[in-house]
Amino acid sequence: MERRDFFKKAMVTAGSVALGSSTLEASETTHPVDDRAISPIAFPEKRPMIMYSDRPPLLESPREVFTSALTPNDLFFVRWHMPMIPKYISTNGFRVKVDGHVDKTLSLSIEDLKTKFKQVELTSVLQCGGNSRSAFHPTTSGIQWGAGAMGCAKWKGVRLKDILEHAGLKSDATWLGFNGKDKAVYSETANFIREMKLEDLNDNALLAYEMNGEDLPYLNGFPLRLIIPGTYSDSWIKMISNITVSKEKNKLLFMEKAYRIPDNECECETPDKLVEKTKPIEKINVNSIIGYPQKGSKVRVNSHIVVRGVAFDAGSGIKSVQMSVDNGETWKEAILDKEDAGDFAFRAFRCTFNPSKVGKLTIMCKASSNAGEVQPLAKEIKWNHGGYRYNGVDEVTIEVIG
Amino acid sequence: MKKLLMIGLLSLAPLMAQIEGDFTIPYIDFPVKKAKGAATYQANCMMCHSLGYIDNQGLQSKAFWKGKVEKMMIHFKAPITDQDAKTVIDYLYANYGNGKPK
Repeated sequence: MERRDFFKKAMVTAGSVALGSSTLEASETTHPVDDRAISPIAFPEKRPMIMYSDRPPLLESPREVFTSALTPNDLFFVRWHMPMIPKYISTNGFRVKVDGHVDKTLSLSIEDLKTKFKQVELTSVLQCGGNSRSAFHPTTSGIQWGAGAMGCAKWKGVRLKDILEHAGLKSDATWLGFNGKDKAVYSETANFIREMKLEDLNDNALLAYEMNGEDLPYLNGFPLRLIIPGTYSDSWIKMISNITVSKEKNKLLFMEKAYRIPDNECECETPDKLVEKTKPIEKINVNSIIGYPQKGSKVRVNSHIVVRGVAFDAGSGIKSVQMSVDNGETWKEAILDKEDAGDFAFRAFRCTFNPSKVGKLTIMCKASSNAGEVQPLAKEIKWNHGGYRYNGVDEVTIEVIG
Repeated sequence: MKKLLMIGLLSLAPLMAQIEGDFTIPYIDFPVKKAKGAATYQANCMMCHSLGYIDNQGLQSKAFWKGKVEKMMIHFKAPITDQDAKTVIDYLYANYGNGKPK
């Protein structure tokens, strides 16, 4: 494809979506962009993906990966904040430091992690807070992701709690700060440091060195990254090099300015009246995506379609997924996969139907969690300035031909 | 010698990035709209990140782009002069704008 045409096709959708919507009132939330072109240029260790930027790398997974519960490493999405990613990481030389308000400062090699601690395997969804951001109108700040800024992998590593226990937390230790090896171009620019309250740390948080049975791809954080199942991945630091325990909260740019939503009942606001009090995004909400069919697929009448997708939530587990092909009038129960990889994983689902009429047809899939959360319709989702936490009932429109 | 090398490689095998040698990300030449201020835009913005970052924010208002350039200067400490900032904001609004001042 002509290079210019590729860029045009890749970006024009975001523009056409923004045109015509008033910037001073929130317009109705629709669906994320679903027809971005795959970049002809494959990034290291990756198959061709949707590409937004090279510096720092931003790559989105094509929708078809969401027909399976596990996302292949070479199609797993990529999102870095800092462009200066080390060109070479010595596997023997790499250390992750644990310091600050601890009894004992640690400097752990990957070998240490593999031999001195209990090894844990856990399958978990990893989702960007801005996944599907392009669905919000007017266009919010931030990269205009489609639905592919997420994935699910089997992670292997060591529990963060075990490492902290080894270091020994002082009685008034309250905050955990995380930093990775990626840096900004200018030394003045802050590193992408994230922090969380120790009391919010759950047993499932891991330092992972393995992803789907392979070493982490470079672009997904080789040799070590943080995994915090059930939460958005903004704090899941890649190439993690420092864990600093502190007594007090630190003033961090990426905590104060980024990944925050209105701290009100609806967690929403309007462009002309932004809510001043904000809170960090944390727990993911119940969500599902249709991996097959894709927008514009042509199928014959009476061709028995098997709709496939994945559903997930913050860890209570998926109770059901329902499908509608009559614009939400009636819903059919989908079959959830038997392979239960645990409550933090994608739950693959399938639902069949037989299209009987020629013309356009819209497939909708709605997930419900064991905790009682149900996916809202897209139009019910209210605006927030960062375009975070979109989880509207997915819709794919296909064409049934005679 | 080959045998020693093989044994050496095998002992490294437990954790080895699939990449041999330095890891490099391909350089993507994002197209720049030829308009007034394009050179200033390129010179200032490409210092820290690719232009893809800008292309993929969607069409936005003048206030949005002003806020973004200021964010770069204030929060990310980008060394952009006030004069250049004005040129860049105008360029962004003219070429990545939605026609709305706010």
